[in-house]
Amino acid sequence: MTATMNWTIAAPELVLACAAMAILMVGVFARRDAWTMVSMLSFGALLGTAVLVIAGGQGPAVAFSGLFVVDGFAVFAKVLILLAAGLGLLLALDWHQREGIARFEYPIIVLLATLGMMMMVSANDLMSLYVGLELSSLALYIAASFARDDLRSTEAGLKYFMLGALASGMLLYGASLTYGYAGTTRFAGIAEALGTAPASAGLVVGLCFIAAGLAFKVSAVPFHMWTPDVYEGAPTPVTAFFSIAPKVAAIALFLRVMTGPFAPVIAQWQQIIILISAASMLVGAFAAIGQTNVKRLMAYSSIGHVGYALIGLAAGDEAGIRAVLVYMAIYVVMNAGAFGCIVAMRKGGKATERIEDLAGLGSTAPMMALAMAVFMFSMAGIPPLAGFFGKLYVFVAAVQAGLWPLAILGVLASVVSAFYYLRIVKVMYFDAGDVALDARPASISFVVAATGAATVLFAALPAPLLGAAAMAARSLVGG
Amino acid sequence: MPDGIVLACLVGLPFVAAIVAGLLPTRARDTASMLAGAVALVCLGLVWSAYGTVSGGGVLRAELPWMPQLGLSIVLRMDGFAWLFAGLITGIGALVVLYARYYMSAEDPVPRFFSFLLAFMGAMTGLVLSGHLVQLALFWELTSFLSFLLIGYWHHTAAARDGARMALTITATGGLSLFAGVLVLGHIVGSYDLDVVLAAGDTIRDHPLYIVALILIVLGALTKSAQFPFHFWLPHAMAAPTPVSAYLHSATLVKAGVFLLARLWPVMAGTDAWAWTVGLAGLITMLIGAYIAIFQNDLKGLLAYSTISHLGLITLLLGLKSELALIAAIFHTMNHAAFKCSLFMAAGIIDHETGTRDIRRLSGLNGPMPFTARLALVAAAAMAGVPLLNGFISKEMFFAEALSATAPVHPLLNVLPLAAMLASAFSVVYSLRFIHGVFFGSPPTDLPRTPHEPATWMRFPVEILVLTCIMVGVLPAATVGPYLDIAARAVLGDATPYYSLAVWHGVNLPLLMSVVAMAAGVTIYLILQRRLREGMDGPPLIRHLDAQRLFERAMVTLSWRLARTLERIAGTRRLQPQLRLILIAAIVAGAGAAFVRGVGPGNLVPAPIDPVLALLWVVGAACALGAAWQAKFHRLAATILLGGVGLVVCVTFVWFSAPDLALTQLTVEIVTTVLLLLGLRWLPKRMQSSSAREPEVLGRTRRLRDLAIATAAGGCMAMLAYVVMTRTPPELLAQHFLARAYLEGGGTNVVNVILVDFRGFDTLGEIFVVGVVALTTFALLRRFRPAADSVELPEQQRDQLEADEARHARDDGRHVADWLLVPFTLTRLLFPVMLVAAAFLLLRGHDLPGGGFSAGMVVAIAIILQYIVGGTEWTEDRLSLLRPPAWIGTGLLLAAGTGVAAWAFGLPFMTSYFSYADLPVLGKVPMASALIFDIGVFVLVVGATLLMLIALAHQSVRGRRSTPRTLPQAKASPRVADAVGGGG
Repeated sequence: MTATMNWTIAAPELVLACAAMAILMVGVFARRDAWTMVSMLSFGALLGTAVLVIAGGQGPAVAFSGLFVVDGFAVFAKVLILLAAGLGLLLALDWHQREGIARFEYPIIVLLATLGMMMMVSANDLMSLYVGLELSSLALYIAASFARDDLRSTEAGLKYFMLGALASGMLLYGASLTYGYAGTTRFAGIAEALGTAPASAGLVVGLCFIAAGLAFKVSAVPFHMWTPDVYEGAPTPVTAFFSIAPKVAAIALFLRVMTGPFAPVIAQWQQIIILISAASMLVGAFAAIGQTNVKRLMAYSSIGHVGYALIGLAAGDEAGIRAVLVYMAIYVVMNAGAFGCIVAMRKGGKATERIEDLAGLGSTAPMMALAMAVFMFSMAGIPPLAGFFGKLYVFVAAVQAGLWPLAILGVLASVVSAFYYLRIVKVMYFDAGDVALDARPASISFVVAATGAATVLFAALPAPLLGAAAMAARSLVGG
Repeated sequence: MPDGIVLACLVGLPFVAAIVAGLLPTRARDTASMLAGAVALVCLGLVWSAYGTVSGGGVLRAELPWMPQLGLSIVLRMDGFAWLFAGLITGIGALVVLYARYYMSAEDPVPRFFSFLLAFMGAMTGLVLSGHLVQLALFWELTSFLSFLLIGYWHHTAAARDGARMALTITATGGLSLFAGVLVLGHIVGSYDLDVVLAAGDTIRDHPLYIVALILIVLGALTKSAQFPFHFWLPHAMAAPTPVSAYLHSATLVKAGVFLLARLWPVMAGTDAWAWTVGLAGLITMLIGAYIAIFQNDLKGLLAYSTISHLGLITLLLGLKSELALIAAIFHTMNHAAFKCSLFMAAGIIDHETGTRDIRRLSGLNGPMPFTARLALVAAAAMAGVPLLNGFISKEMFFAEALSATAPVHPLLNVLPLAAMLASAFSVVYSLRFIHGVFFGSPPTDLPRTPHEPATWMRFPVEILVLTCIMVGVLPAATVGPYLDIAARAVLGDATPYYSLAVWHGVNLPLLMSVVAMAAGVTIYLILQRRLREGMDGPPLIRHLDAQRLFERAMVTLSWRLARTLERIAGTRRLQPQLRLILIAAIVAGAGAAFVRGVGPGNLVPAPIDPVLALLWVVGAACALGAAWQAKFHRLAATILLGGVGLVVCVTFVWFSAPDLALTQLTVEIVTTVLLLLGLRWLPKRMQSSSAREPEVLGRTRRLRDLAIATAAGGCMAMLAYVVMTRTPPELLAQHFLARAYLEGGGTNVVNVILVDFRGFDTLGEIFVVGVVALTTFALLRRFRPAADSVELPEQQRDQLEADEARHARDDGRHVADWLLVPFTLTRLLFPVMLVAAAFLLLRGHDLPGGGFSAGMVVAIAIILQYIVGGTEWTEDRLSLLRPPAWIGTGLLLAAGTGVAAWAFGLPFMTSYFSYADLPVLGKVPMASALIFDIGVFVLVVGATLLMLIALAHQSVRGRRSTPRTLPQAKASPRVADAVGGGG
């Protein structure tokens, strides 16, 4: 352990932190309504950070005496998180204004949450892990209740906070147990402690609690219950943001913790992951069917997707991690697109969220209906759309690792989930609608078009993503 | 041409053309059909160009890297078998395009139709040419999806929508199952490349996962080929335009299942499991399909069930353990495509020209449509297996196989020839019904349109197909022989047995069976004729076995009931159950892990338990329990009980020689309790007992359950703590600090040295946070207005007021002035004493229990006491020094300044300096630079605590004035000079 700061490799985070605070000041002291200006500055901050992340190289290097690590995996996850944050913010641009909640704090909350997530994926120590996690969580709690005059939104924020605090507490308890037994919070040290002797029981219990805390953050069953409520209650663009960026960060963190410090006890955590992965896929598939609210449906859908992603983690090898990364990248894109369509669901100036409100979209807004259909088919895993390849990757990884029952369960779950995705398509094209949706703003059209094109064209040009994911996975486990 | 180009064009060209067709204007019927026809013909030509290679047993192969990281590349591969199917797809495709040009109405968006059709052709070609299992599954799903679009083409009708949905549900589900099966198969073999898989027959059959792979793959094939019990989607798919039915539901799509079974036959067949699954499904389907077909009133429905039955026949052949059966299956696949396609087209012509497809309404069409009638007659005869037509030859082969089959168990073996004859007889019946019912009998009356012959070009595809039926039927060896041979050899390789394609094999048992079946069929038809004419309400005996209803019911159960139930179990919108679940899950996970891993007490022997301390802890536990129990009903009691818990903790710290912790705990406990109480004053009142909505016993039970959960969680925590603490701890940080506190920090109070020196930077950050929190609390509460029901005076004050009013001797408001007079005096006297105590704590902090934080808390407590007893206004009038923001700022500046000062001496930030100073009276006092830092902490803590206190206390002042809403903004200064009244 070299006691060196080496802070330059954390330059993206430092820049983002400073930018967030500076933009906050801009917002506070701006004379007029600062929403647009702050949003644009925030985009700039995200973009600048992304440039720094990419230009910073793939490391691997550690900073702050080993608390913070930059490697290919971190870079991949960070780029994805920044992309997701940008998309999330883009969706909020118009919506917040129309709903009268266009307060300049929102983009800053997004920036701070993003900062926390970037720290999470770069964590190399239980302490920095927790700090990053809490930074992002606290920002997200506020974001959930951002429409503070709306009862559902405040309820969502409160629920999220209560449950999130409990989960954080569990994670912290697990971390302290781990520290108590391993004598260090550094990931490498924990791995060493676990690797030398037969794993001590206390560490395994600690692992259990840490896994529980992380499972809450990725909203895997049985820690999923907050998801539908929070997704439904939070303002729609916030939900969109929730469903992409924090998911990526939490899954990445999950990967890093399980395959890093806890790699020697893979036999222990593999069982946990298999269990929660299977349960998440099943609950995500079945519970979504009965939903009439499209945001609740997407919540269950996201639970299911986490289940699929965790299949790759359950495999636990390089192929599995690569599969998770590919899955998450594709998930971000298609989910952002689907939420773009949901954000655009407004009738007569009011936001609607019932599935039946989509009726007749095929004739009233053919392009949007087409895009939504693409996203739904992609999520259902129908080739040749991107979602199919995400699933293909994790299933192949699982089968190769000998987890074929999990892969088969995954396929069966995707059959069931196809049912409700296709129901949306059916409603859009086959049911007669009464009122057309309001004209959608350019920002949403842009998001939907870009993500839609990416979803369709992934099959034609998969190499960049696959290559990047392979490099990232290798940097995590390949040494 | 190089292989790659031929194969890539075969698959790619239709897709490109599909995009082009999709972009054509809606009315461009001719352009679109020309395009589609040209593409189909070009593809057919490409297939033919490969004949040279495949006829010599060669294989065309092209490989394109696609996702190399996954070992996934696009492999196109055409051997004889694939070649035959590719020919079928493109050849029939060309005919269907021609037919569709005349069938489709100019009002329909025809380019879209051709776009889907071309895409389907591409997908289907891709399927048969796939040299990679995953790629095959991909194209498989694509065909399901395009078939969905084609069936739902007339999506304005409910039948089309339902049919499309059902077809997609069944076939896409099967496709995903196939996908899973393919993954397992690839896992078994170690490669997804078809060539490798086909060479690994023994490995596959002996592998423990064989059954899994088999079931999944067979599921995929059976759903696609509409086999029992998944057959019911096909009749519903008849809502599609007839060209679609002719193409997809007779010749191509439904053949994908049998294609796959035949493709994998060499490596997967030959086991009992295969024979049972595939063979049995085929047998049942063949019989049920043929039986139901007899009783259909819709022309296309009849053909659909007949297709199901014939596909069952092919599946049954594939299920037999015989190479000859496989050849018969391939042969019948081709024959069936030819006659069924032409029959569908004929049915389409009838529908097109008469306006109905109901057999009961149609009759005597032989008069107005003689050519069509003759064509249909020949095709139907081929379907019935009349000699000199292609159906006869493959049927004879089937009979021969049925007789010689080595089925796994004897009962099936015995029943097979009988079943074959029965199905054959049924097929004679429905063929007769088709022909006799539609074309013969009394001249047609009362039809929606006047029947007449269709356009010549519309009939042309039918003519070609019927001609094929006859040619193959008369001269099988000369016409189809070589092609069948290529296909058979491609599948079976050297294992291809000798077989002969001939019309006449002499008088043998199969021929006899044919004759019997034919006679039986005619007889059955004659018996049933009258009743069929009147129209029967579905097939007798199995009328109630409505697979569609079962499907719908299963879907409803699965999708609504099960989903609802699952959501009810696994989801709730209420917070308490969610918290409960998370806790239980954590307990179970933790306890489970501990139990499985066998966590026991460690190596250290715990100290003996002191009875006094134990008693104290019983009190503490009781307080905690009481607090939790009362939290919902009586917040004040809960808060006070919590204070009790804190006190016990505090005493415990003293007990175990941690006076500094105890001190901190004590002061923090006091301040937080007071602040909590102040806050409680402004919360709306809570109910005093549980709600009357439910019986009390339920509420009690629930609370008892929660108590049990909480106890379990607490117990587990205690156990874990015990387990951890009875072990020799690893090398932790404590030793590090203990060893260096005096040497490097110049203090013996390690906790304080850590706070102000070793981790001084952290402390600096923390006090910044404390300051920010205080400011935030103030800013938030500045706008806070108490709830209406808490604005009125407290009950005690009201009582006193009433008493005062009753007695005229007392002035109004005296009750406030006289409030707690004795304590009031005492606290005033206490104030300076407490300040001295604080100074004492501050100065000794570096070496002995104390420190800036504790000292700050003590001062804060002193001031809070004045507030409580003296009232807000009184206190603030006298303590004009109270400017908390200034205190906060000073504290921060002092602390940060100490750190920065180190720079002046050329040392790193926050380096401390220490020595001892001799002060008069006090004696030797440690004078570390850390002391200044500690004073900064002290000042900040006082300021922050007071700021929060003031923010809360001023609610009472403001609450008093809040009757009109026109409140002046609270000033930044906490001084509230214009306040009236009192009481904190």
